[in-house]
Order: sequence, then structure tokens, then C-alpha cells
Amino acid sequence: MLTTPERIAFVLLALASLLLTAHGVSRIVRAIARGQGRPNWRLFFHRVIPVSLDILLQRPIFRTRPLVSLLHAGVFFAFVFYGLVNILDLLEGFTGFSTLHRSGVAALYNLIADLLSVAALAGMLGLLIRRFGLRPFRFNQRVLLLPSVRFGISRDSAIVGGFILLHVGSRWIGQAVRVAESGQPDWSQPTASLVATLFHGWSEAALTTASHVTWWLALGLILAFLPYFPYSKHIHLFMAPLNLILREARPLGQLEPPPSSDGTIGAERLEQLRWYQLLDAYACIMCNRCQDVCPAHGTGRALSPAALEINKRYYLNRNLATFAGGATSPPLLEIATSKEAVWSCTTCAACVRICPVGNRPMLDLIDIRRALVNRGDPLDPNLQSALESLARYGNSFGKPARQRARWAKELPFSIKDARKEPVEYLWFVGDFASFDPRMQENTKTVAQLFQAAGLDFGILYEDERNAGNDVRRVGEEGLFEMLVEQNLAALKKAQFRAIVTTDPHTYNALKNEYPAYGFQVPVYHYTEVLAELLERGILRVQQPLRAAVTYHDPCYLGRYNRITAAPRRIIRALGLELREMPRHGENTYCCGAGGGQIWMDSGGQERPSEQRIREAVALGDDLRYFVVSCPKDMAMYSDAVKTTGYEGRLTVIDVARLVAVAIGIDGVEREAAPVESEAR
Amino acid sequence: MTQRIAVLVEHLEGQPTDVTFELLGLARRIANTDGASVQAYLFGERVGHLAESLPADSVTVVEHSALHHLAPEPTARVLAALLPADLPRLLLVPNTSLGMDVAAWVAAALEWPLVAYCQALEHRGSRLVATAQLFGGKILADVTLDERPTVIAALAGAFAADAVNPGAPGKIERRDAPAELAALRTRSVVLERPEAADVDITRAEKIVAVGRGIESKDNLELAEQVAQALGAVLAASRPLVDAGWLPRSRQVGKSGLKVKPKLYFALGISGAPEHLEGMKDAELIIAVNKDPKAPIFGVADYGAVADLFEVSEALLERLEG
Amino acid sequence: MTIVVVMEQVPDVVEELAIAPSGTDLDRDAVSYVLNEYDDHALEEALLLAEASGDEVVAVGIDTTGELDQTLYTALAKGARRAIKLTGDFEGTWLSTRAAARLLVPVIQELGPRLVLTGVQAPDDLDGQLAPTLAALLGWPHASVVIGSELVDGVVQVRKELWGGITMTLELELPAVLGVQAARQAPRYVPISRVRQVMREASIETREVEAPDGLVPAVTTLRVPEQAGRAEILTGSPAEIADRIIELLRARGLL
Repeated sequence: MLTTPERIAFVLLALASLLLTAHGVSRIVRAIARGQGRPNWRLFFHRVIPVSLDILLQRPIFRTRPLVSLLHAGVFFAFVFYGLVNILDLLEGFTGFSTLHRSGVAALYNLIADLLSVAALAGMLGLLIRRFGLRPFRFNQRVLLLPSVRFGISRDSAIVGGFILLHVGSRWIGQAVRVAESGQPDWSQPTASLVATLFHGWSEAALTTASHVTWWLALGLILAFLPYFPYSKHIHLFMAPLNLILREARPLGQLEPPPSSDGTIGAERLEQLRWYQLLDAYACIMCNRCQDVCPAHGTGRALSPAALEINKRYYLNRNLATFAGGATSPPLLEIATSKEAVWSCTTCAACVRICPVGNRPMLDLIDIRRALVNRGDPLDPNLQSALESLARYGNSFGKPARQRARWAKELPFSIKDARKEPVEYLWFVGDFASFDPRMQENTKTVAQLFQAAGLDFGILYEDERNAGNDVRRVGEEGLFEMLVEQNLAALKKAQFRAIVTTDPHTYNALKNEYPAYGFQVPVYHYTEVLAELLERGILRVQQPLRAAVTYHDPCYLGRYNRITAAPRRIIRALGLELREMPRHGENTYCCGAGGGQIWMDSGGQERPSEQRIREAVALGDDLRYFVVSCPKDMAMYSDAVKTTGYEGRLTVIDVARLVAVAIGIDGVEREAAPVESEAR
Repeated sequence: MTQRIAVLVEHLEGQPTDVTFELLGLARRIANTDGASVQAYLFGERVGHLAESLPADSVTVVEHSALHHLAPEPTARVLAALLPADLPRLLLVPNTSLGMDVAAWVAAALEWPLVAYCQALEHRGSRLVATAQLFGGKILADVTLDERPTVIAALAGAFAADAVNPGAPGKIERRDAPAELAALRTRSVVLERPEAADVDITRAEKIVAVGRGIESKDNLELAEQVAQALGAVLAASRPLVDAGWLPRSRQVGKSGLKVKPKLYFALGISGAPEHLEGMKDAELIIAVNKDPKAPIFGVADYGAVADLFEVSEALLERLEG
Repeated sequence: MTIVVVMEQVPDVVEELAIAPSGTDLDRDAVSYVLNEYDDHALEEALLLAEASGDEVVAVGIDTTGELDQTLYTALAKGARRAIKLTGDFEGTWLSTRAAARLLVPVIQELGPRLVLTGVQAPDDLDGQLAPTLAALLGWPHASVVIGSELVDGVVQVRKELWGGITMTLELELPAVLGVQAARQAPRYVPISRVRQVMREASIETREVEAPDGLVPAVTTLRVPEQAGRAEILTGSPAEIADRIIELLRARGLL
């Protein structure tokens, strides 16, 4: 029980603290509200229960780092429960109500509080030891960091960690003191009772003082911490759930049109980002998981998605009053990230998928690109010529549209012209599969497989254009729209039931982006079609293949669209032994070609594709094939096996070629590298 | 009066350029058939002494400080002043950086016909037919000349220089600088040579040359490895030099350097006429290109329609392994 | 002050070119047109000059293709202030350089620019390049194969490339004509959305003109060079090709 002066002091302090806190929170709300667009609050009611459940189960956190996630879970569950604990402790301070030595529900409460206190202390200590002892959070030298960030992250972590230790620790010791005061152990508080033995021999007065001091340290500390709370990383407690709840219900593979404000298309400054991109900064807990999975950061480039969010947060914290009041922010390229970083993003979305608080740093990068492209900022020369070719010819190869279906002339049969006769499947072949000589063999193989299966399919011939997936992601929205219009005009001429694509990028565009332009048709990837043809016995395996293979999930197939089973079903149907790389399925690692990177100079560093080949090689000396299902992967990995010196040991092969060998399509067996078949 | 076939003498820093002798050779062959004489126009600051080295029947010399480097306006104005009186059957001008500025100007000013990018000029019956290279070398245009005096802007390297020296030097006729030179609007003409080059590709016995097909700067390393394995130096076509991937000193072609190595190994070069002009006299030309219709196969001795990266890798394996 | 850029659309030599039955022109129905790449450099150089001097860039072109608007709108989107299109009874014809120059001279004289820039050459300028032809008709000083220029004190300083890296620097009194080989920096990229915006908001001035004499070049016949195929083609896999190449080099003592 507190003394009367203590009660008055607490109430006054609480009022002051809440006022200051409210002031801070309102600034942050006003700052976030400066972002473009407004949240759709109706989502709140749909999402609040499922998201709360996710959070209670800590599902977003356990996607990776199991041990650290466990520590986090300890702190998290303690925190949730401490809401109740703090209220009851407050009650105890003011009224003397106590759960000490009670039975029933109160005992259960005591037990949980006691155990969670230890879990929180252990968890927090573990997290602090990790952060300060192991120092796992490093940015590579090229990453732009605000000066305030370098020191700030450690300071904020220390404050928040210290607060939790002190708050929970004081409450825990306070309980021990109270147990000691009562003179006998409370079996519903085993650890507190254990600690209570330390206070043997203390005078009653000393124990009373200790009880008051720990009460104040536990609850008074909250009042001291509260005004700082909105500025601390601890605010992720509220911002992260809010972020997860208010996320637009939009497929990962569909971008919003660029934000547009004061004549700027895209985002050059903070306030030109959307509101949720500003919220991202406050949801971020600086765990750097996004950086760990980022192929650009992993190959020494200047991009760190984590640094982007952290920079935004620190800039805002330092300039919150002026920014919330309407001041113009400096360019994002000065305070958030660098131009080099913006142009190293492969849009693989690994950062988006891994983020436990629902942040999407990739979208910021794309919006900055949009602004750069629109402002006429000089582009990488290769990118520029690719865009010019796309505008002129509809492909990035600078080849006349008329040559698009040239590969088809080399087939022993002719492919239906979908513009002239109805077909069941419209095959949208894509640029790389159509024009790159290394890919054309695969393309012909796919055609032969479709033909062998008696599939009723056709192509758009010279009317097909690049679907625009990567054009949109380099920030050239106008060109993307032009390509969409041209493709829609061509598609309008054709009659078909469904689309099948070779390229996962094309798949993503047609499946997720085109519906926004009124195009709603079932879209399949060719691996889905082949898997079904094999399983239904329409394509029959003549010679099961015997080799150990691994399969690389393309980002735009595996992660964006969760098509991970179909290619694996094919591989198994052919009799191959599939060995998974550590990063597979939705956790796949980017080949480095996406988001327009395939058109840009990498700057001569190690490529993600080379790291990936090493990852595959580590699966065993007898691993024969690196199986791909994306023409860009074929290009990237064929190069990477050469540059890593594994040519001859590991063969990069398209899954369609393996199918062709297994079902015995004429001409393919000779060209494909010799696969051991059961017949031999 | 006998007809004359006139040639504008191109020279740089006191030396007539190769194309001058090629055009004099062409003029001689035409003149021999037509019973005409060969006249050389030699303009410059102090160039009179060059007249004796020119295989022409007559050399018309104009010396003036404004003509020092054969800058476009003064050279064109002097020619335009002299030609109406001289009235040659043909005026042959090199289709080079210096010559193209003069040929088109003079022809337009005098309203004479002009055939540019001329790679062949021959008699067909009684008529002269000029053949020009157009549309990136993909199309040839035959132009039958009429009786009017005609300007021909001829491609460097397309015509053989006369092997035989005509014996006695021709008549040398000095003329005063025309009045037009007093009112020029071109001032201060300065020549600059590039900084000392890293390698002199004109002296290299073996050259590996790369073009647009190399796709990205990253891939230059592979080409450099092939060059090293062959004991060759690396050169490039214009787009790569423009992109800044290699220094100007490595550029082969019309605006770059002319090379005559024992081996010219062209990787991913399609063979624009401007490039072919700089390398077609190499002793052995081997070209690798994905496009079977690439004009480079027109001048190459051996060609492979293949992926340059795969061929390069295979070569490296054999040469290094 | 004004800087005029003359822009021409030319057959895209990336495409396959066929010859018309007449034998004196390309099969124009099968041709697709692109901006002459050197004209793109001329525009860039003009924009760079104008950005430094405050001049106004005017893009001028003769519409022989019916598609010139696209080129002119792009020029406007990149920063040209005005675009003028000359139309007449010559769509689908191969305009001679001389005829083009005669059509352009009155427009240039009316605009009274201090500089005229155009591409150093075009794939189809059989009767000579446009820049010196314009200079002759206008009576202005000129230089071609320009790789850089600067306006200083009433003159233009021009870097003209000769060969092998040798350059000539000239000072030309204004007005002058430049044939641009390469702008100081690569032609800028213009986002499609800006081109589309310009198409909605800006307009191209159109002038009807009379077709002059000597409209088309005096061609007797066009033909495809026969020499293609001179090379002996090495076939087989990359490995086999590499083997053959090494064999050839060894046989000649080059290895």
C-alpha cells in the first residue's frame, strides 16, 4: 500500500506522463498522415481477429531465426500478460488488494506472472547479449546510414532493453520482497519465493522500503518511459499490428499506380510516399531480417531494406515537430537510401515476405525509381536502351516484332495463330523465351510437349509484347501501360479459355497486374500444365530418369505466386531424386535478374546467381542438375555455373527438357545432356 | 580540251592520307578509259612540296593560312570558286570526316549532282555508274551518271591506290587564294591528337575485337581473356567506345583506326560499313555472331553463327587448359 | 534565341529491307521507320546547349512517313519548345537531301536561329549529308562529325572528330550549321508518360509545302550486296567451332 503522498505523486506524474505521451503520439499520427492516400478502416474489422491470432501465435516472427524468435516470444507473452499485472499492481499500490498466498484463479495468475517474468528477463537478456555481445547487426560499407542512426540504434536498444529489464526485474524482485514480508514462501510464485530467501534477516522496515522502491521502479518507471515510448522502437507494439491489419488486400505481385503529388510521380521526398510507407518506419523493430535475405545486400551492394526503414524513422524522430507541421523533407536519396541502392533492388520481395511487422521496403524503392525515371534522371545505359527497344519493338532485345515467333518456324509442325482461330490455351511466350537463342531450344521443347499432349494451343505471333512486369518495376509506368494496352489489343483479337506462360515474370503480370486493367482470365505457368499432363497420363514417362537434382524456385513463381508444388510434382513424376536447397519454396533466393536487373550492369561484383550455384553444389558431389523453370534463370545460371567453375559438374536445365527426355521426344534426347535412364 | 578527273587531296599534318592515293588511283583508271587527265586539288598552308609526290597529270595548288587543316568552310569555298571555271568531268572527294563536309557543300552550292558513300565507280558501256553503300551497308544503289560534272564522295579503303607511279611529276599550277577566303566565318582551327595511347592497335598482329553483341561491360573481361590467350590485343567497334567501356584508342573503323592485322577475330560485331572500313584488309578475319545475316560475314574469311560467349568459353578451355 | 534541330525518320535498318518492284526504292510498305539515331544526338546536343544558354530549341522535320508526330512529340517531351512539321505530297517517298534542304531553308530563315543542328548522316542520304547541304544553301559556316559544342561570346566552339581519336576544334561565327555525330552525353531517356502528356497538351505546327524539283535521288537500281556469304561458315557446337578456329590459327602459324 502506498502512502497518501505517494498516491498523489503517482497520479500527478501519471497525468503529466500521459499528456506528454499523447503529444508525441499525435505528432507521429500527423506525420504519418502526411503520406499519400488514406487507410481503409473497414479492413480493421475484417482483419483484427485473424491478425491478433497471428500475433498471439507469433507466426510472423517464427518465419526465421527460431532461437531469437523464442526469446522474443518470452518477452512478448510477458508483455501481454504484464498488461494485467500492471493493473493489479496498481490496484495493490492504491488499495492494498493482493493476490499473495491466494488459491484458485489468483494462484494461477501468480504462477503465470512469475514464470513469464523469468521468461521476459531471460528473453531480454538473451536479446541484449545478442545485440551488444555478438553484434549481428552490421550494414555493409556502401549502405547509406544517417549519422544519428549509427549511434542511435544501440542507444535505443539499450534504453528499451534496460527499461524492460528494470521494469520486469523490479516487479519480480518486488514480489520476492512481498513474499519475504509475509514470512513464508508462496508456492504459486516459485521463482519469487526462491529469490525471497535472499531477504532472510532483513528488518521489517527495510522490507517495507524495498517493497515501495520496487513498486515505484516497476510502475513509476512506466510513467518515465511513456513519453519516450512513441519515439522508441518499442512503439512497434502498436504500429506493427496496425500495419498488418491495415495492409491493402492486394496480391504481392500487383503494384499500386505511382503516388502522385505536387507534380511528382513516384516519391522523391518522405511526404510523397504513401501513409503506410511512413507507418512502416514506425513498425520497424530493426531486426535486419530483410537485410539478411536481400540478394543485393548479400552481394555487397549498397542496398539494405532495413537501413531504409531505420533511416526514415530516425529522420522523422529528429524532425518530427517540423515534419508533422508540414515542412518539406529533404530528398529520400539524401536521408533514406542511395541511388545505387535504389537501382540494385531485384524486386525479389524477400524483404517483404520475411518482415515480421508487415513492412514493404521494396515499394519505397520502386516509388523512388518511378520518380527518377519521370524526372529524366540519367539511367544505366543498358537499361535505357532496353526501355527504348521495348517502346519501339515491344521487346528488350531490339529485334523487330516480326522476328518474335521465328523459333516456331524450326518446328516440324505449325503452331496455331490464336488471332485467327480459337484455341483452348493461349501460350504467352515472353521475350527471353522468344528471342534469346539460348532459350529458344527450350521454347521449342515446350511447344513439342504441348503438341505431343495434343493440347489445343496457339500464340499471338508478332502481336505479343513484353508483358511489362519488370518495366513497371524499374519505374517506367507509362511504358508499362503502353505495353499493357498493346497486349490487351492483341489478346482481344484472340479466342481462348486460358493463358499459359513460360516466363514467371509474364505470369505475374498477366495474373496479378492485368486484372487492374479489366483482364480476367485463368493464367497458368507451363509447369502447372506439364504436371497435370503427366499426372493424367497424357504425357507418359517412357524412361524414368535417375539423377539427383535440385530445383530453384523463381521469385515470381515461388514467392510471389506460391507455385512451388507443380514443378516438384514434375520432377518426382520423372523419377528424379529432388534435393532441396536450404532456401526454397517461398523462401527462395533471387537469381539477381528481376526488377530490370537483367538489363543493367551489375558493377562487377559477385552475383546472387553465383552464390546460389554454390548453395546447390553443397548438396552433394552427385547432384547432376540444377533445374529451372524460368528463361531468365536459364540465362543467369548458365552463366553462373561457368563463372563459378562448376560447368561440367552441374548442368542447368529447364524442367521441360527433362520431361522431353523422359517421355522420349525425338531430337531432344541427343541435345539434352545425357541423363542416366533406367533402361541403361 | 581533254576532260579532267579531279581529286581533292586530303592531308593531315603534312602527309597526304591513304585515301588520297586511292582516289588518284581511281581517277587514273577512269581517265585512262576516257582519255582524260587526272587533276589534283592541293589546298593547305604550306603544302606545295607535296605536289611532286602526287601521281596526277596536273596539280592545282592553293596556299593560304585558312586552309591549314582543310577546315570545312574555307576548303569548300575555294573549291566552289575554282570548279565553275575548271569544269572537271568528276570531282572525287573522300567520304571522310574532312571530305564529307566539302563534297556536299560544293555540290549543293554549284547545283552539281553528288553520289556519296561511293564504293565502286566503273564504266558500263559508255556511261559511268557509281555504286553507293546505303542503309547500314544492307543495300547498294547504282547511279548512272549523266553528262554533267558530278561530285563523288568515295569511301576510304574501297579503291586500290595506283601501284604504278606515273613517272614524271605532273604540271604544277599555283593559283592565288580566291577572294572568298577574306570573308570567312570559320575561325581558329586547332588539331588535337589523343593522349598517348595505351596500346597501338594499328601495330598489333592479332586483334580480338568486340561489338554490341558483348551486351554488357561485365562481359569485356571474357573477351580480354580470349585476347590474352591468343596473344592479341582487344579492340572494339564504335558503340562500345561511345559507351565508355574502352578508350578511343581501341576503336576500329571510319572514325577510329584502320587496322591490318594478321588476325582479326570479331566477336559480336555485326559489321556496319563504318566498321568494315577499318578492318576489312586484315589478312585473316574470323567472325562469331548470332545473326547469320550480319554484314561482317561478307568480309570475313571464316564465320560462325553462334553464341560468342559459348565459343569464347570453349576457346579459353582449349587455350588455357 | 533559337536553336533549330532538324529531325528525320529513316527506315529501320534493324529490320529486313526489301526492294520495291520499281527497283529504285525500298519496298516502303514493308519498312518500319525510326528516328535517325544521329538526329537523336543532335537533339540532345541542342538541349544541352540550350540548357546552358537559355535558348529555345525548335524541332523541325519533313513528314515523309506519316509518322513524324511521334518523333516530334518525343522531342517536345525531352525539352524542345516548339515542333514544326512540313507536310506535302511526298509521303512514302525517298526524299533526296537536296530536296529536303530546299524545303527546310525557308523555315529556318523564318525562325532565324543562331544554330541549326542535325545528324551527321542518315542511312539514306545518297546525295550527301544534310548539314553541309543546308550550310551551302544558307551560306552559313558549318562542321560535321561534331562530338561536342559550346556557345561562347557569339561564336560556337565545335569539336569535330577526324579519325583515330584526332579532333579538330573550330570556332564558327553564328549562325552556323552542325552535323552531330555524338552528343556530349548519351541522348536522355524520356518516360512514355511524359510523351503522352505532351501529346495531350502540346501541339505540332504543320506547314503545307510544295514538293521541289529533284525530289527523289537519281537512283538507277537498288540491289542487295552479293558479297554476303563470302565467309566459310564453321558449323557445329561451340566446342567444335573452337576446335576449328584453333586449327585454322595453328595452320597459319598464328598460335
